[in-house]
Amino acid sequence: MTKKLLEVQDILVNFGGVTALNKVNLHVNEGEIAALIGPNGAGKTTVFNIVTGYYTPTSGNVIVDGESVLGLRPYKIARKGLGRTFQNIRLFGDMTAVENVATAADSLNKSGLVGSLFGVPRSRRDETASMEKAHELLKFIGLDHRALQMAKNLPYGDQRRLEIARALALNPKVLLLDEPAAGFNPQEKVELGQLIRKIRDRGFAVLLIEHDMSLVMDISDRVSVLDFGQKIAEGNPGEIQNNQRVIDAYLGVAEDAS
Amino acid sequence: MTKTTKSSFNLRTKFGDWWEGANSAQRTIFRVVLIGLFFALPMLNNPIINTPETSFYSVLFYPLIMFSLMAVGLNVVVGKSGILDLGYVAFFAIGAYTQAVFSNRTSLNFWETLPFAMGFAMLAGVILGLPALRLRGDYLAIITLGFGEIVRIVAVNTEAIGGSSGLTDIEGPTAIFGMEFTVNDPRPYYWLTLTMLLLVIWGVIRLSHRKPGRAWEAIREDEDVAEFMGVATLKYKLWAFIIGGAVGGLAGAIYASQIRSIQPELFTLNLSIMILACVVFGGMGNIWGVILGAVILGYIPEKLRFLSDYRIVFFGLLMVVMMNIRPNGLLPRQKREKFQEKSK
Amino acid sequence: MDFSILITNFWSLGLDGLVVGAIYALVSLGYTLVYGVLRLINFAHSEIFMIGTMTVYFVVLQFGFTGYEDPLPLIQFIGLFLLFALAAALVSGGSAVLLEIVAYRRLRNMKASRLSSLISAIGASFVLTEVFRIISDSKNLDFPRLINKDPFFTWGTLYLSADKVLVIVGAAIIFFFLNRIINHTKLGLGIRAVSQDERTAILMGVNVNKVISYTFLLGGVLAGVGSAFYMVFYETTKANVGFLVGISAFTAAVLGGIGNVKGALYGSFALGLIQQYTSAVLGYNWRDVVTFVILVLVLLIRPTGLFGEALQKARV
Repeated sequence: MTKKLLEVQDILVNFGGVTALNKVNLHVNEGEIAALIGPNGAGKTTVFNIVTGYYTPTSGNVIVDGESVLGLRPYKIARKGLGRTFQNIRLFGDMTAVENVATAADSLNKSGLVGSLFGVPRSRRDETASMEKAHELLKFIGLDHRALQMAKNLPYGDQRRLEIARALALNPKVLLLDEPAAGFNPQEKVELGQLIRKIRDRGFAVLLIEHDMSLVMDISDRVSVLDFGQKIAEGNPGEIQNNQRVIDAYLGVAEDAS
Repeated sequence: MTKTTKSSFNLRTKFGDWWEGANSAQRTIFRVVLIGLFFALPMLNNPIINTPETSFYSVLFYPLIMFSLMAVGLNVVVGKSGILDLGYVAFFAIGAYTQAVFSNRTSLNFWETLPFAMGFAMLAGVILGLPALRLRGDYLAIITLGFGEIVRIVAVNTEAIGGSSGLTDIEGPTAIFGMEFTVNDPRPYYWLTLTMLLLVIWGVIRLSHRKPGRAWEAIREDEDVAEFMGVATLKYKLWAFIIGGAVGGLAGAIYASQIRSIQPELFTLNLSIMILACVVFGGMGNIWGVILGAVILGYIPEKLRFLSDYRIVFFGLLMVVMMNIRPNGLLPRQKREKFQEKSK
Repeated sequence: MDFSILITNFWSLGLDGLVVGAIYALVSLGYTLVYGVLRLINFAHSEIFMIGTMTVYFVVLQFGFTGYEDPLPLIQFIGLFLLFALAAALVSGGSAVLLEIVAYRRLRNMKASRLSSLISAIGASFVLTEVFRIISDSKNLDFPRLINKDPFFTWGTLYLSADKVLVIVGAAIIFFFLNRIINHTKLGLGIRAVSQDERTAILMGVNVNKVISYTFLLGGVLAGVGSAFYMVFYETTKANVGFLVGISAFTAAVLGGIGNVKGALYGSFALGLIQQYTSAVLGYNWRDVVTFVILVLVLLIRPTGLFGEALQKARV
């Protein structure tokens, strides 16, 4: 039985009169690349915001690796194993690439201020570990030559990848990617697809929000479709492509998918 | 192969280049010489530097090094962490009043009181921070403003700590390493504060290069994202407050022991704004920048005495102008970037 | 704590609370309107109010009143009042527009951080306070009593006097016109649109810069009128009068729900009453501490205020 690393159960989200998510159920299994697609405004990023604890749903539950994280603050949920990227790149611009990743890696250790100040052995070990992990992740993602550059000065594609490296530093059980291919040309999208597979092969499950249908259909094991805050379909890429409801919701998905 | 980027100040780059290339011995010598120079400053007696009305070494103590110390403390809060604190004077006041009250009411000397002064200020930081730091920037700023004012109003209205007349007959520190602290000579106080400032600088730099520094910067850059990356933002913001409070309290205690009598009017909103101006003008987040800012902004009104009445106007205008043309201050935080050739 | 004063003067304190509340309302509307369109607290708005009081003082000074003459007949007073209220409205309004251009606009265009805008506003606030402190030589500026403040109606301990009626009636008239502006004019529509969704408003052809300027103007005018009422009621001003009045008005806006016009009104009257009653019990010295405590409590417990919606997270 495949383990569900992330479960979204009956999530209902009301924002002052608007129902953003209407009893949505989603899950991500161990070792899979799952995709969440749907027209703009369907509620996909809201799912990410709920799951990472930024908003509390009106009702429903979020379970990470068997443990409910409902009501926890985002930083605690991040430490429990959810790392995410953002639709509009949100790096720490005035910090270097390695510092960006190290900040996330830092969250894995319990060193505090006093320890850091006095150079307590555990803090020193943790500091080395964070930096090593950050460098290693940058290398994994192909950015170690940029390690000491300011994040805001990186080219667009490198910024997107840096965000991914940063999220990976949390050792997430599930990596949440919010439109990682936005602004990429076809070649870059292919490379991104390869990167995501590489990430999955390293043991991270991936949940992907994406508009580029060829990428989604190419790498996903399973696709869920949201429209107006409700899940209207779920299945493997082939099933989804031929699902009339999905096609209707998108009006034009047929062109992208080819 | 690495090469460095140009920054806008060539002087700064040149120094940075030298520093990068220098070895451990060279750096140590530089530090020792620089520190020695600062200790020697009170000996300066030069018409160009001297300030009318007060002796230069008196000005060195207040405002120069006092402002520097407070600016470094406030910098951790505002500059590094991005928390706008408009009530920093509260910590200064708490430190000063603690020193005054303990001096009058207990048999503890200055050195024994100092931990209490800092401790109460840190406690105040926690009491203020726990509720206030959950709020967003603008609201937080107003709350800190209120806090500063409340401390002053409480001091004015509480007869037990002197009310509006304040407290007098505060003891100076007892002699240490053979150096006496007398009423008329501000120099030992300057040296004391300089020593404390160096310690604080050491501590802050250490923290900045490690996990706390990264956490604070991340919070300043994008607090929400910092949370998403697992940073316990409330904890680090609270620590920034605590550190800022400790430094403010330290400054207040030393100040009270030098000036020997304090009144609530010394601890006004204006002082909070002046320290903030030092941080903003000097370079937010940059420890050297804020010290430079404190020195410049402290010195100019003393040197150009006619400006003294217009000091606040000057500071206010400075803040507006700086935000418009150079929001990052004179010496902005700048990391040295390095380009490397792609290894593949 | 002395409750006896509170009990005996319950109604007169209530009346005073409404008068003070009306004055606060006129100032707090400035905070709330600007917050609505800019999502920024105009820290220097308190000085816009102060400038209004200075204008009133200056205008009346020109007439040569010493404060020792008999009160003017009501008609004459009303005429004089309209004159200096109008002057204050114009000067405050103009100052507000200038303030926006100097301290905020460029930062807005540079997409500067909130911290920068806040610091710029604080700087502006300080410059204005200090400039007027220097002009007024740090003195309290006393306003002559030109209206007959003898109570013309009493009911128990409640005294109704002309100045209180003036403030309440005058404020009611202003609120009526304000309501018309907000809900029945193109400007009001623009303000509401930008407050709700700036990007869409731009797409719909709203000139956001113009709306923002007019919002500042409107806030300034209201504060100017409020300052006229303030001078009649309190009969004194000083360079830093803006600080305490501003904090109260701001607290009122937050209490009612910042960004919400109706909220600013209700919050102001509520705060006015609270201030009067707590002063009676705790003493005048603690009034401002009480105001602050209310501010902190509201922000912690219900940051959206009584009527506000969670337009943006006030909490992190």
